[in-house]
Amino acid sequence: MILVCGGLADGVTELVCARLQDCGYPFRLLDFARFPAGYRLNVRWTDDGPEGWIATNEWRLDLADISGVYARLLGTEDRAPLPGLAPADASVLRTEADLGLMALLEDIACPVVNRVGGGLSNNSKPYQAIVIRRAGLGVPPTLVTSDPDAVLSFQKVHGDVIYKSASGVRSIVRRIGDEQLTRLDRLRDGPAQFQAFIPGRNVRVHTVGTSIFATAIESDAVDYRYSHLDGLTTRLTPVELPAAVNESCLRLAQACGLLFAGIDLKQTPSGEFFCFEVNPCPGFLYYERHTGQPISTALAELLRGRAH
Amino acid sequence: MYLLLGHSNDACCQEVHASLASHHLDARIIASPLAPPARLRWRLDAEGLTSSLYPRLSDEAIEGVLVRDTGWLDPAGWDEDDLAYMQAELRAVMLAWLNGLKCPVVNLPDASQWYRSGVPLVTWRRQLRGAGLKLPEVVITSEPEEAAAFRRRLAADGAAGAVYAPLTNGSSYLLADDDAWGRLAAVQAHTPVCLTEAHGPAALACVVGDHVIWNGMPPPEALSIESGLRRFAAAAALTFIELAIAPVRGEPAVIMVEPRPRLERYDEPARARIVAALVAALRHGAAVDAPRVLS
Repeated sequence: MILVCGGLADGVTELVCARLQDCGYPFRLLDFARFPAGYRLNVRWTDDGPEGWIATNEWRLDLADISGVYARLLGTEDRAPLPGLAPADASVLRTEADLGLMALLEDIACPVVNRVGGGLSNNSKPYQAIVIRRAGLGVPPTLVTSDPDAVLSFQKVHGDVIYKSASGVRSIVRRIGDEQLTRLDRLRDGPAQFQAFIPGRNVRVHTVGTSIFATAIESDAVDYRYSHLDGLTTRLTPVELPAAVNESCLRLAQACGLLFAGIDLKQTPSGEFFCFEVNPCPGFLYYERHTGQPISTALAELLRGRAH
Repeated sequence: MYLLLGHSNDACCQEVHASLASHHLDARIIASPLAPPARLRWRLDAEGLTSSLYPRLSDEAIEGVLVRDTGWLDPAGWDEDDLAYMQAELRAVMLAWLNGLKCPVVNLPDASQWYRSGVPLVTWRRQLRGAGLKLPEVVITSEPEEAAAFRRRLAADGAAGAVYAPLTNGSSYLLADDDAWGRLAAVQAHTPVCLTEAHGPAALACVVGDHVIWNGMPPPEALSIESGLRRFAAAAALTFIELAIAPVRGEPAVIMVEPRPRLERYDEPARARIVAALVAALRHGAAVDAPRVLS
């Protein structure tokens, strides 16, 4: 039995559930939008690890029967209010329940897509860039600085430069232009991250266990994920990557502790690959719908305990 | 130059600072490492990683860093959203800067540790178990019947009682009577609760590199569990970590893990040994000869 922890209203979770249904793999959904209301949890930790069950009024799932867990957590804005409680009390009690569930997912013996700790490198892009380099992938020339002069020197060397947040917050990529140059003094409030613009085509790699799905993205937008905001179009096609790049992507996912990862690459016109970031909770729906790549099927196999 | 990243009133920063000064070594305690006069230039490209945090101090001249905090940002002048954003940015940058340094960093954090300080003991269970250390039994349950079964089981095993240990904070409450169990059941109507076994008197130990330093007299079982404590610290990739050990059903068990040990909890001889081991780790890396143990 597979346990899916996510919001039913979330498209990616919905796709995972639909794929499991298509495959005929039994699963139970823990609807994170409602949790803990309507759910019962009983876990006992002994020297051998956790044992116990999760239940609703309709079903009961023994932890020993779980072959894999897919977890896609929701923000507080997507959580339903807990009935009969003041908001402050509800917040504490829901956090208590979340921490209990997280503790279970951290320690349960079956594959978990993904354990919380594995995804945290995504909160620091420059730290993740170090991890990416260690895995054998190139990263764009990157500058993190609070020094306006350093930005000007960097721009002089690299010409076209983009900036983006160093954390996972407000993470939209923009090009440096004249307007941004007039605001460089604000760097004294805190550093920002700059990268040489890498020309070429975007490639999104999804690693599922040891399986790899690469998708080439042709777009005129700087950040293709937001191309629709600028009225631009995007085309996605499946692509084969060199074996060395595939191996580095798998190494990277493993280094981050991720059974399922979305890795953003760019392939230059000369064939060089650069890696921008690793997403621990990839919204693969967009890629699967456009290309028909069987990402969710591979995920279902992994959760079923049949991954290669 | 040694950098001690933490608040000026942090006893660990203060005593390490004093010890380094006694060796005629320069050190600074810094609460806000990225605030002026810092002027960060951190570059990563095909040539490798170079960085410079302070205009008058190259990163190569930094001989060691003690990390006690993720960095403080003065909230004055920021609205709530921008403050949260800036805090996230500064933490992200600090993590990268620390991981790019070539000098010893105690504790050099990975992302999981950096963003999850203060996690409950249950989060460490897998690594503690892997290191061969015993742990108290824990139950997380929304079921009053299961809580009652836990209570009966502990009583039958001669345990000292059950403790309600909320995961959202470090507090714990001995469930001493039926009223307490009744109030617990009321909480369980809304959320699962975390219960654990009561334990005997706890002994504190710090692992600093290869050294295990006990506060006061080590417990009789110290020798048998020290190798487990070292294995755990190594598995967690932490040079400096504090654990509390207490008898649980007659066996020593880990009841607390603290990746940012508080020196104030230790007696003078232990503090001196911890500080000596920290200074040695800062000067030479973690794998150093053991400082002489006072007997």
